[in-house]
Amino acid sequence: MNIVVCVKQVPDTTEVKINMETGTLIRAGVPSIINPYDHFALAAALELKKKHNFKVTALSMGPPQAKSVVQMAMALGADEGVLLSDMAFAGSDTWATSYALAKAIKKIGKTDMVFCGMQAIDGDTAQTGPGVAQQLGMAQITFCESVEVDGRRIIARRLIDGGHETVEAKAPVTLTMIMDREYVARYPSFPAVHGSLKKPFHVWSAADIGAEDQYLGLKGSPTQVNKIYPPAQKEKAAMFSGSGQEGARKILEIMRGEHFIE
Amino acid sequence: MASIDAISRNLMLDSLMAYAKRRIPYDLIRELDAKNEFPADILKEMYDPAILGVHLLMIPEEYGGVSGGSYDIYRICEALARIDLGIATGVFATFLGTDPLNVGGTVEQKEKWLRRIASERLLVAYAATEADAGSDLVNLRTRAEHVVANGRITGYRITGNKQWISNGGVADMYTVLAMAPGGPSWFIVEKDMEGFSPNKHEDKHGIRLSNTAGLSLDNVLVPAANLIGMEEGKGLLQAQAVFGYTRLMVAAFGLGAGSEALEQAVRYSQQRIQAGTPLSEKQGYTHKLIVPNAVRLEAARSYIEETANRLDGGEHGLQTEGSIAKYSASEAGNHAAEDAIQALGGYGYTKDFPVEKIKRDVKITCIYEGTSEIMEMTIYRGRWQEHLKTRGRYYFDMADKMDALHAENPDTGAHASALALRALGAVMEECRVQKLTRHQHVTFKLGKLIAAAEVAACFSRAAAADKYSETVRFDKQGWQAMARIFARETALAAAAEGLALVLGVAENAGTLSDAVNIDAVQAAQKGMLADMDLVALKLKQAFKAK
Amino acid sequence: MIEVSKKCIGCSKCVPVCPFAAVSMSDKKAVMNEACTLCGACVQVCPVQAITITREEASARDLTGYKGVWVYVELSETDGGGAAKAGPRKIRKVVLELLSAGRRLADELGEDLCAVLLTDKNHSYEKELGPYGADKIYMVEHDELFEYNTDIFSTVIVSLVNRHKPSVILYGASIQGRDLAPRVASTLYVGLTADCTALAIKDGLLLQSRPAFGGNIMADILSPNSRPQMATVRPNVMKINEPVHGRSALVVRETAKLDRSLRRVKVLERSMAGDTGTVRIESADIIVSGGRGMKSKERFKQLEELSGLLGGVVGASRAAVDLGFKEKHHQVGQSGTTVSPKLYLAFGISGAVQHIVGMKASDVIVAVNKDPNAPIFNVARYGIVGDAHEIVPKLIEALKGK
Repeated sequence: MNIVVCVKQVPDTTEVKINMETGTLIRAGVPSIINPYDHFALAAALELKKKHNFKVTALSMGPPQAKSVVQMAMALGADEGVLLSDMAFAGSDTWATSYALAKAIKKIGKTDMVFCGMQAIDGDTAQTGPGVAQQLGMAQITFCESVEVDGRRIIARRLIDGGHETVEAKAPVTLTMIMDREYVARYPSFPAVHGSLKKPFHVWSAADIGAEDQYLGLKGSPTQVNKIYPPAQKEKAAMFSGSGQEGARKILEIMRGEHFIE
Repeated sequence: MASIDAISRNLMLDSLMAYAKRRIPYDLIRELDAKNEFPADILKEMYDPAILGVHLLMIPEEYGGVSGGSYDIYRICEALARIDLGIATGVFATFLGTDPLNVGGTVEQKEKWLRRIASERLLVAYAATEADAGSDLVNLRTRAEHVVANGRITGYRITGNKQWISNGGVADMYTVLAMAPGGPSWFIVEKDMEGFSPNKHEDKHGIRLSNTAGLSLDNVLVPAANLIGMEEGKGLLQAQAVFGYTRLMVAAFGLGAGSEALEQAVRYSQQRIQAGTPLSEKQGYTHKLIVPNAVRLEAARSYIEETANRLDGGEHGLQTEGSIAKYSASEAGNHAAEDAIQALGGYGYTKDFPVEKIKRDVKITCIYEGTSEIMEMTIYRGRWQEHLKTRGRYYFDMADKMDALHAENPDTGAHASALALRALGAVMEECRVQKLTRHQHVTFKLGKLIAAAEVAACFSRAAAADKYSETVRFDKQGWQAMARIFARETALAAAAEGLALVLGVAENAGTLSDAVNIDAVQAAQKGMLADMDLVALKLKQAFKAK
Repeated sequence: MIEVSKKCIGCSKCVPVCPFAAVSMSDKKAVMNEACTLCGACVQVCPVQAITITREEASARDLTGYKGVWVYVELSETDGGGAAKAGPRKIRKVVLELLSAGRRLADELGEDLCAVLLTDKNHSYEKELGPYGADKIYMVEHDELFEYNTDIFSTVIVSLVNRHKPSVILYGASIQGRDLAPRVASTLYVGLTADCTALAIKDGLLLQSRPAFGGNIMADILSPNSRPQMATVRPNVMKINEPVHGRSALVVRETAKLDRSLRRVKVLERSMAGDTGTVRIESADIIVSGGRGMKSKERFKQLEELSGLLGGVVGASRAAVDLGFKEKHHQVGQSGTTVSPKLYLAFGISGAVQHIVGMKASDVIVAVNKDPNAPIFNVARYGIVGDAHEIVPKLIEALKGK
């Protein structure tokens, strides 16, 4: 089987800062990382590769430096890498992104499984995976914890509201992965990074994948950002200190004051 | 060696930091620090090509390594130092121990030993220091005697004692400096050779996760093939040849440890409220304990990077530059860690917070690979030659370039850097005329002033660049303000301390008081406070409270 | 638009490849029915390039005639899977939140609020939907709707949209809603905003507010050039209106032709956690939550005793779940459950962003942590600097003593 894993480079949101005066994000100096959910999706795909000797292609869309996440995937074991990089993609919302990724996957060739992270930590939309699936006409299995393959059958355990289910489908399927202990998000060793430079890596433009301009970027995006602003600030906590008995007494006092206990 | 591409380098760094986060949390480091324990399993994992393979950076591709350049190694060393300077030292010792082979080994020796180091995860130790031979290796006592059979030298018998050897008690392989009949030479000694034994692990002030031990060599028989380079008497040259580069590694240690301490202080200062506002809002706090350290560290960073890039560009030696880098960064790191304790107050003095440990650790960077005082001497010696060779033009020429830079870009402190360089040139010339360099104090002090002035010039150049290096966490505004602050302080030191130095020895200072141009230096101080305010703000943005 | 030209030779290669069983042969020519999603699978296999898909250009799309605010009615699943039958499925709480929010939007637009209900059997759901604000219920009853399925449900919703042209559709940002809505949005080529925490009408458009960058920033989103404007709405954020008893909704029955072959993903097994009579974490009024600072599984167990005394439910940080202190369905946060209880007690939780976004909507947060700089204190109303695992037993003691 052939697997495509979609990986996104995102700013480490735990390090993102806001300029409170202008309400804008300060991106300078914020490290870029592989989207943690994609990291698990990659781990899941590579596990299958190890077991069944599937071919894995890592696919990303972003500026030239997003090559980093593709190269990381190759260093961890992906056979090939593709980066979609073109100014025409800039400003794409989840619809336009799904469109471009689906176009690229068609160009990559016959694909039996597409792995995506459940969502990206910069956008938290969880919409791109299903969007890619729809545009490729594939079935989708979202919020997966683990995936097994048996011939053409794909069996996944997934999260549902209030529980779990195990589902099956025939390839081709698009899967989106949650972060779960089932898979270990690994980092490549130094020689693996070095060796990945020798693997096939392609940078494709919008023209390369035959994407139509009108469906790309801002123009192709049905949603528009109207305004960005900092979240409302909460008031500072009233702070106390105290261990053991003293802390317990303080909590009782608070709960009494807020009428949770008598 | 040219450096690796930036994306690959940063992937390696990410892997290293992710490993550290997962495997070496502060609680573990604290425990090992208390127990004075070397984490052999962690080092072995770090050398495991399937996990990290950090040591492969030092080994050329043709021998199974990944051919890291100076810039790559600087970046990794800085990152290691941020994790733990003891662990960093364990890795560094392998780097260092591999160096004589890299520099002086024959192709066959490299094929054999470098490949073994790469694939067998060998811990290596670099054994040069002795009780009477520290930074100065001339008084070597360890002897290597010929073993002759059938009229041919078949081996050597090595006898002597080594002291304070990093990885001394735990290495698999040692590169040992010994006095052979033909002069100082490097030999490869393996841990299980008869007559070889490590001494007890030292109980140190800091870097307690690093194993440090003396070595006893009692008539150790070493095959002739283990003489590095297969030629006697090349040892000191081989050692000297890598100083530019090994001292850069220690510079990166000082920078990394100091920056880590500083960043923790900056983050803390935004959370600690005193009299209604966070400490980060108070000039009395930031402009004393935070901003000056950030400025010194970033200045040292710019100098380390320039030197690393020059080495990667094919320049050789650069021993004076390596010394300036090490001296500036280790002193800045030490200062930053000391102030970080103060900045964290009572918390900083406890072991609950890592700054206390960083402070103990970082002190070593002012000691090993040449003490700060040896650096002052080396820097002075190197540049005094240049001063004489150019008939006193060396620093005036450099100052002219700074003036040109200032004309192009007035925001990078180049004017103050030029003032510092001119004052320095004038002081050195006065010392020459009055023959003041017969006083060691004068020479060491000159070494200090030289280092600062050259770093200031370098920082101005770096801050003027169109695009900053991948390491700079500040925007143009912030980094240029830092360059200005550093240049102003350096100009003031060069002029005032330089003049005072001469006046302290000589009958009079001749025209030096005019030549150091103290009026212009003072005029250049304009805008200092505004710049410090700006840097305090930029630091807060770069290292947000977590 | 999908069109089959005269070039079609009637080879029927496109029939089996259609993932939605939307192609059939009529007079030796391919014909597409309403299940077509414009996915293009048929275009690729056509040997003579007879099938073409043209999409309307966004700005040129006709937006007139789109009216009404729709709410997708999500039903809870039951244990089992496949054809296993259990008790009637219930309307999930988030639907009531959507109806309350949707009511406001519909009133402002002067349009109807419609609930869209897909089920195999109606269990008088209208009696619940009416009082909470629905004017109308589009009800599709079909055996194939016995459980949620992406392909089947999205096909039905797409055909309902094409038939009735709503202006707005709201879904819960639950797992089901976040599986369904993007599939529908992609098919219809319309805007979808994820995980909204506030909705308003601005110049006749749906203004959707949502956090991004891990909650570091808020963004207001519009979908001006496509209809319907769709949003998934974060559960436990919108306040539920008091039900108006006796208020009823008009039930409009809709038919759907659904073929079994549409079901490409089959459920082999399903297990629901927390259905065993205990209060579910997302609807709890009091949550006693613990993190890494509880130190061990044994000490973490004390939180159960404490929550029992307070009548609450136990929550856990991701770290605590990873360490095996508590099962995953107790996890609060981005990769767990979003909660908004009246009281949230956080013991030994440092407050990683991913945890905070899941609990910061709580009314009163009391945090205990020994690190005075722990970020949890940034969202807490009361902070206690101290060792959580020492305080908990004392607190239990004191509560028992009362």
